[in-house]
Amino acid sequence: MRLADARALLPDLVTTAGEPQADHRLIETIANWCDRYTPWVAIDPLGGALAEEGMEACSAGGFGGDAGLLLDVTGCTHLFGTGEAGERALLADLTQRLSRHDFSCRAAMADTAGAAWALARFAERQADLFCSRHNQRAALAALPVEGLRLDASILETFLKLGLRRIGDLYPMPRAPLARRFGDQPLARLDQALGTLAEPIEPRRPPPAFRTRLAFAEPIGRPEDIAAATSRLLAALCRQFEQASVGARKLEIALYRVDGSVDRTSIGTSRPNRDNPKLMKLFEEKLGELDAGFGVELMILGAPEVEAWNGTQDALPDQNAPAVPAGVDGTIDLADRLALRLGAENVVRLLPRDSHLPERVQVAASVGTKPAATGAWARVAGLKGARPTRLLQRPEPVDVMAPVPDDPPRHFSWRQHKHRIVRAEGPERIADEWWRPRPDGSRPPAGEMPLVRDYYRVEDDDGGRFWLFRDGAYKVAANGQPTARWFLHGFCA
Amino acid sequence: MPVISPHAFAPSAANDLAAGVPLGLREKVRRLERAHSAQRGGRVAGVPLGMPTIDALLPEGRLLAGALHEIEAGPAPSGRIASHDGAALGFAGHIVGLFAQQTSGTILWCRRPTGTFDAPPYAPTLSAWFDPARLLMVTAQRDADLFWAMEEGLRCPGIAVVLGETRAADPTAGRRLSLAAEKSGIPALLLRTQPAPPQSVCATRWRIASAPSHSTPGLSDVGAARWHLELRRNRFGTPSAAEIPSWLVEWNDETHCLSVVPQTLDGSSSAYWPESDAARLVG
Repeated sequence: MRLADARALLPDLVTTAGEPQADHRLIETIANWCDRYTPWVAIDPLGGALAEEGMEACSAGGFGGDAGLLLDVTGCTHLFGTGEAGERALLADLTQRLSRHDFSCRAAMADTAGAAWALARFAERQADLFCSRHNQRAALAALPVEGLRLDASILETFLKLGLRRIGDLYPMPRAPLARRFGDQPLARLDQALGTLAEPIEPRRPPPAFRTRLAFAEPIGRPEDIAAATSRLLAALCRQFEQASVGARKLEIALYRVDGSVDRTSIGTSRPNRDNPKLMKLFEEKLGELDAGFGVELMILGAPEVEAWNGTQDALPDQNAPAVPAGVDGTIDLADRLALRLGAENVVRLLPRDSHLPERVQVAASVGTKPAATGAWARVAGLKGARPTRLLQRPEPVDVMAPVPDDPPRHFSWRQHKHRIVRAEGPERIADEWWRPRPDGSRPPAGEMPLVRDYYRVEDDDGGRFWLFRDGAYKVAANGQPTARWFLHGFCA
Repeated sequence: MPVISPHAFAPSAANDLAAGVPLGLREKVRRLERAHSAQRGGRVAGVPLGMPTIDALLPEGRLLAGALHEIEAGPAPSGRIASHDGAALGFAGHIVGLFAQQTSGTILWCRRPTGTFDAPPYAPTLSAWFDPARLLMVTAQRDADLFWAMEEGLRCPGIAVVLGETRAADPTAGRRLSLAAEKSGIPALLLRTQPAPPQSVCATRWRIASAPSHSTPGLSDVGAARWHLELRRNRFGTPSAAEIPSWLVEWNDETHCLSVVPQTLDGSSSAYWPESDAARLVG
């Protein structure tokens, strides 16, 4: 129906422009909020696809908005009560909390995602929204066939044929049905009844280790949040000990009373389950978190864990110093520095066998094994004199060199003219032709590889520089031999 | 800060007898001042530089371990602003190496890139002074972060030396670093590539400029690195006769040690290659 027709029927109709992107953001927010119940939350792909394509209605027609969320609460209901009572309590809690935020919603729970989907949209009585275990066949029988998430064309044919209820499909022979309509109706039916598995793909990978702490009254003071984090961390570290793993990454999420979620995470460079050390890392980050109007739930998860490397945990001892003597705290220091300055800014240097001076030193993350003793001395011993500082990119200099292959007489760099008094060189360093160039190409056969002739020079003030000439002299248009010179480093 | 020359305390002929007392007292006060920092955490109190004339001025002939030392790049002998701090970095690397020999910990090297080009220290060259495998390189974008990282390092027992590369030194940060170094006994070095006021509070402050090297006679090659070394601040140390004691030192790449080049009375080094000869050889 078009807007003009609708207005003709109902003159005082209230209309607003559709905002699919805002709708999507809202659904994302609600999905984030639902993480409080389970990490396995997915946005109903059907609802999302329809909203994006701008189609008018989905098979769930008549229901305001076609967006939906699928939650896999397996193993989560015991937090609300035992057995079926817990499941019912979770469902009631979800509906109640969402309606408190002024969302009209219908939530159903069943053994399968398909059955829950159909019940949430088409169940007629409130009591039908909860489908007890293995009962989906009976519960779905009376529901309209739209509840099977079918394509519009198949649905239309079903209705023409008089197949109006899902139960009408139960006695139908399967083979002719598949031949007539393809695989979809049978697959959807099997998924709803539980004979075909339908996994839910969570939006973010659920952490293997997770602890949660719910508060009777919302908390807001930074001290309270720190104390709660400490308690969660202690519980999580016990889980780590039992599973013999250590955390590489931890994420804490604050669920605020207004329904929004704030997260922050810390990383460590090797598996860690030392409660005080991890807490120290969190203390840096907790200041960034905003409690807003109050926090009613906190969840601490470990998205990345690694096998524990076997060192024994320290025995708790009140008299022991904070860091026992002899323990190398460097890795913990590096973690703290990386947290504030960024992991790429805290590095170890590793040697690499290469002739090119800029390729010799490689920055590696702190977690990597440091170079063997003497590896650096070996790399340095093979080469000639090297500068103490190497420019990240060589700077072009203007040079006056009277004779090709002789060191220059003058050079000027950044408006400063340096008269060269002493010089050493050249040291020829050729391109590594066996490696592809940065752009991926290889030098064509027959072409001379790029060569650099390095000179160590000293100016009349005693400043020592490392210069190089790029390639050989070429004869320019005016008949003068020219070459490009660069400054590559500063010597001691 | 003015350096008090020993002449200011020179005893007059009248009270020659009493002259010994203030000197002894001064020595006693100096010991008391440093008592809290010496031998902290089983670490050595300091390392000698290996150059007797310079070590004679330092307290107990050593460069204190639990203290902040500042190394700044000085202007060239001609008075021009030095175009790079290679010499200061070399001297800093030498001191880091001396301290690193004493313990087996990690060397924390914090830098804050300044200026229009980025020239990080080159590890193959640093391997002349210490093993770069022990380095932990930290890059900070702000001075506050740099000083914070240094302070964290000074509190960590697994660290052998902490070095910070920056331009200006905040006196408050310098004081904090000094206190942290005193408490843990870990040496802290501040390498100031382009010195600008204000200066920090430190135990010693050195100013280094590259000096012309000494070529092989008959050739105009670049000889062993030579530096002008000035000791501009020497807390707890012995005052020297000169207001700012300065030396010409040479780095020997074979034996890996620094030595003072003897200078003649007119200030030129004994083995100075005349300018005209050098020009003739290059030309």
